[in-house]
Amino acid sequence: MARADSLAKLAFAYGVHLTRRRLTRPRSQLTKLLETYGPDGIRPLLPEERERHPHLIGCINCGLCALAAGRVGKVRLPELASSYMRLYARLGEAASDVEGDSPDIEAAASVCPVGVPLVEVAAIVRRLAAG
Amino acid sequence: LSAPSAHDVCIIGGGVTGAGIARDLSLRGLSVLLLEKGDWGAGTTGSSSWMIHGGPRYLEFDWDTTRLSTQDAGYIVGIARHMVYRVLFIIPVLPHDKNNIERMETAMEVYDRFQPLKKAHPHVRLTADEARQAEPGLSSEVIGAVTMEEWGIDPHRLVFANVQDAIAHGARAMNHTRVVGLLRDGGKVIGVRYHGPDGVTTEARARVVVNAAGPWVPEVSRMAGADVHLRPAKGIHIVYPHRISNFSISAESIDGRDLLMVSHAGFTLLGTTDDDFYGDLDSVDVLEDEVDYLLQAFERVFPSIRAYRPARTTTGVRPTLFKWRRYEDELSRKYEVIDHAATGADGFVTIAGGKLSMYRLMAEQTSDVVCRKLGHQAPCITATTPLPGNESELEPAVELGRRCGIPALAAMRLQTRHGSNAGVVLQDGRSGRMICRCEPITESELVHATRNEQVRSLADAFRRVGLAAGPCAGAACVIRAAGVIGNELEWSAAQRVDAAREFVRGAWLGRAPILTHSGWAQEEMASGALRGLRN
Repeated sequence: MARADSLAKLAFAYGVHLTRRRLTRPRSQLTKLLETYGPDGIRPLLPEERERHPHLIGCINCGLCALAAGRVGKVRLPELASSYMRLYARLGEAASDVEGDSPDIEAAASVCPVGVPLVEVAAIVRRLAAG
Repeated sequence: LSAPSAHDVCIIGGGVTGAGIARDLSLRGLSVLLLEKGDWGAGTTGSSSWMIHGGPRYLEFDWDTTRLSTQDAGYIVGIARHMVYRVLFIIPVLPHDKNNIERMETAMEVYDRFQPLKKAHPHVRLTADEARQAEPGLSSEVIGAVTMEEWGIDPHRLVFANVQDAIAHGARAMNHTRVVGLLRDGGKVIGVRYHGPDGVTTEARARVVVNAAGPWVPEVSRMAGADVHLRPAKGIHIVYPHRISNFSISAESIDGRDLLMVSHAGFTLLGTTDDDFYGDLDSVDVLEDEVDYLLQAFERVFPSIRAYRPARTTTGVRPTLFKWRRYEDELSRKYEVIDHAATGADGFVTIAGGKLSMYRLMAEQTSDVVCRKLGHQAPCITATTPLPGNESELEPAVELGRRCGIPALAAMRLQTRHGSNAGVVLQDGRSGRMICRCEPITESELVHATRNEQVRSLADAFRRVGLAAGPCAGAACVIRAAGVIGNELEWSAAQRVDAAREFVRGAWLGRAPILTHSGWAQEEMASGALRGLRN
């Protein structure tokens, strides 16, 4: 009985929906969506970042980059690059971690065993952290 | 055999339902004993999709289930603010999907009526171009999309917050403690007999014993001579150790089921399957076929999915109520509270079925039955009483980080686990030294978890603080963590190695079904870093 009742109500809602679609002109809702969820960090990646994304997050956290950049024990970029990329929705809250920080990322990238493009990652982390 | 203790209620099962009942009854002033044979939330709860959701799919079956589920999700969001985060789904529609865009939007329009109950926003509809602007990784075949908002939560922390609050209100709660029998007086159940982690067998008297053992409910019921039939259903997830997208995405499987790629705080879950399960509940394997089934569905809407390296798989068994002649996916997530007095086992109550989003309501209704049996009159207050860590506003993560000498990122993660108690956690231990860079986790937090959160193994630490949950899968932190926990628990050197070995072996079982090309790079590193531990 509950199932029949539910399906009947859905069928009625479907009729109302189709009628409304015929009578009103659709408007873009993307801006509204991004404004609504921007404060929660739910923002799109740029198309070029999306294309490169699987490579950007390939870090296996071996720590060699930190050795190469002379950054052991400082727990900032690049050794936390993987962590920052994991959490990119909330990087704004961690922006202070990367302020004024300029380790030798190129040296770090050159020893990465899985070829994570750390220069690119650092740039994206800084962009996302800046909001 | 130790001398028996006496309680008003003994609860068997430390998943979210058992923990919720323990909290509810403790807040009502009853003395409670909560027993869990493994670790808190290590069974079905921990292998869920990590969501407090309203269940739009029940709109086809029973709107009241959607309303109740949404309403209770709203309560949970209110009492666990520091743990929850918004999860926004893009539901793409492709040609030949079982639901066209108009039917899909109708469902979301109806669901929008319930969304305010859980403080969620209404849906929007996107054209194909707009959907791809939001998520450029979507297939070019997509012809439109609608959105749907849900809440994400770490179920392990949710369970433990309930346990913690129950303890704060007088309950005794013991993990790694297996109930091996029930004490009977004639037919009446008057307590339990259990093996503790120290191997000692103990008895505890209780006026009511609650069976909240999830899929193990039939096994526990048999101890009372009662028959409870479930239709256990296995579900697996693939876990990626990062956010693949800021948007969560749904996909239709080859057999027309709705699958979800859910973006959580620092990882992505892709699931889930739903298959009748007849095997050993303590040893549920993930099959490569199941992994392929999920990837096949998502490849259709998100073509680059196979380029991402999964970290592991999870699997669990749902304690679904028994129903004959239904496909697994059509089975209800309803629950049932059974008082076995009518069948000769007075003092024994079972809660079966249900789902994570409704755990608080299930706990409330079970507690109501228990209170009626005990003639105890006290109202349920779990819908409005904040869980530990949610009593006050959070300090900005950057300030907490500066004050405690840790990166803001680590402070932020700490707050999602401990809320306003994060500062206290950092006082408990020696330093802000990073033990796990992936998560990241400080030594102080691990020490705190061992001293105050009943962590007794590395796997417990995985559940409590996310140890080894990231991309390195423990290669960089397992040995160090074994040292920190071992210091607290006074393990010998051999015990530390054994603890690390046990964890590495367990992790391997979850990882084996998803190893592909890039996964082997990780695996080689782990093998090198943890030489010999897997043998």
